[in-house]
Amino acid sequence: MEESFLTQLKEIQEADILIGIPSYNNARTIGRVVRAVIAGLAKYFQGSKAVILNSDGGSTDGTPEEVKRVQIEDFKTILTSHPVHPIPKIVTPYHGIPGKGSAFRTIFEAAKLLNPKACAVVDSDLRSIAPEWMELLLRPIYQEGFDYVAPLYGRHKFDGTITNSIVYPLTRALYGKRVRQPIGGDFGFSGKLAEFYLTKDVWETDVARFGIDIWMTTLAIAEGYKVCQSYLGAKIHDAKDPGSDLGPMFTQVVSSVFSLMGNYQYLWKEVRESQPIPTFGFHFEVGLEPISVNVERMIRNFRLGVKDLMEIWRKILLPEMILRLESVGRLPDDSFSFPQDLWARIIYDFAAAYHKGSVHREHLLKSMIPLYLGRVASFVMENQESTAGEVEAKIESLCRVFEEMKPYLIERWEQEK
Amino acid sequence: MGEVWRVAISDSFNKFLGKVITFLPNLLAMITILIIGFLIAWIVKKFIFRFLKAIQFDKVSERWGLANVLSKGGLTYSPASLLSRFFYWIIVLITLIMGINALDVPATQNFIAQFFNYLPHLFAAILILIVGYLIALFLGQAALIAAVNAQMESARLLSRVVRWFIIILALTMALYQLGIAERVIIAAFCIIFGGIVLALAIAFGWGGRELAKDFLERFYKRREKEDEGKEDISHI
Repeated sequence: MEESFLTQLKEIQEADILIGIPSYNNARTIGRVVRAVIAGLAKYFQGSKAVILNSDGGSTDGTPEEVKRVQIEDFKTILTSHPVHPIPKIVTPYHGIPGKGSAFRTIFEAAKLLNPKACAVVDSDLRSIAPEWMELLLRPIYQEGFDYVAPLYGRHKFDGTITNSIVYPLTRALYGKRVRQPIGGDFGFSGKLAEFYLTKDVWETDVARFGIDIWMTTLAIAEGYKVCQSYLGAKIHDAKDPGSDLGPMFTQVVSSVFSLMGNYQYLWKEVRESQPIPTFGFHFEVGLEPISVNVERMIRNFRLGVKDLMEIWRKILLPEMILRLESVGRLPDDSFSFPQDLWARIIYDFAAAYHKGSVHREHLLKSMIPLYLGRVASFVMENQESTAGEVEAKIESLCRVFEEMKPYLIERWEQEK
Repeated sequence: MGEVWRVAISDSFNKFLGKVITFLPNLLAMITILIIGFLIAWIVKKFIFRFLKAIQFDKVSERWGLANVLSKGGLTYSPASLLSRFFYWIIVLITLIMGINALDVPATQNFIAQFFNYLPHLFAAILILIVGYLIALFLGQAALIAAVNAQMESARLLSRVVRWFIIILALTMALYQLGIAERVIIAAFCIIFGGIVLALAIAFGWGGRELAKDFLERFYKRREKEDEGKEDISHI
């Protein structure tokens, strides 16, 4: 922890609420995010002492300066009264391996020192954040006694494909809690939970990168903390960095899920069915920007995997799965379909193989990408004309398949010992 | 006359007895060395096997593809068993040589000295080959997966090129270590790889100018087309 950062925290001494904003080159959007946070805190938590902490990964586009500069000049435009307490802002670089998880670690460390009742983290590239998000992420902790608030969003039907095809169905089947956006990126959590996160030595693993979200959610569920979710409305990000690659994101998230399965096997093997969790917020329909999906490219990538990666997949999957994959690979583009049960079995087989270590783990995860793209392509084709509600029903049916096939996972897991 | 015979026979017998008496301790030393050596070899074999089992060497070998290579080569032993047997036979070999050395026969002395001087080179060469082969398998597989994810049609070819490049490199290093035709090996290695690079340069620069142009044009057009059709879904 930097000396100046520590000094600032010591000067503040303690806070009721801590808001963390991890960032890296988000000067374009972070101003809006900070304004929404200030407005939300001023509107919903007037009497509380709050601190905003920007944990930055070494931005070169003036992100930290933008955070320091942003203020709400005239509160009359959004509030009937001016807030009583000014909200201190701390901008600090984080240390450790570059990634979102390392940024969160700095926020947890600040929480340990400030001892807040409630904390929240929000992404710095959000274009759809509103002051109400503060209430929705903090109130369940601040007043209702929850420890962890996961987000619920209105998203485009083809958005969040890793969430919809792997993380949500798998987490739900494993731990029995229906947390719809386990890797949403915007969370609320208690100071007690933040302190617990800090006790874990995971900051040199994928948790320090994209694995942080699923790690936080899984620990909150598995360690028996009170978990809920809040409907925040639309989630619209800033335009993606064109150079950003699916590979690291995919492998970091999936490796974190699979590693946690090893840690909590004593728990998930006993879970038989899933339960809904308490949900806050008013669910309303949101207008979302259209997005384009290049299905042909995904199918091409899947077929290339079938042609060249079978040698690796044979070490992971059962022979009948290999035969089914080969027949899926032979389907023409217009009738391409990747069945739900085949997908669930593949995920379970990969999880068991990861646990056993029969294939080098990085190779195992990277060789999953063509399969994932095949499944996403199939999902997009099936739902080209579907409404958001119909798509949600399809995701629900996939989740049920994952739950029904859990004995298969346990069998494969035990076999792999 | 009888006396002369008696003396001659007695001298001869005494000399023989003297030699036997001189040789006998060496023989006993050899037998002792062999017994102790075999015993140590057996203990080391058991110890290494148990140690490799404890660190799950067979699983690691399976992951790295070594077990697969062994089974393809018709070896029914597990990698842990094979490695422990390898050390057993190495100790047995050393024991035999030490045993022969204990006999103190001048003809074997030079051979034994040479053998012990050569032994480190042999070990280093074997180690280079094993490690080189494992690295070749690992990087070949990594290249294959990366190429598939980058949508390269010739992913398998690229993987084989990577694998064979490392195997040949390891082989060259091992032969160099053994001191077998060092200069020839290095020259051959330089000629082969220099030749490959030259062939590619000529093919693309002159002979296959049109083909190279066509290939690059198609490649860039495909890239442009892909960039246009790039999806903007958020995977997380």
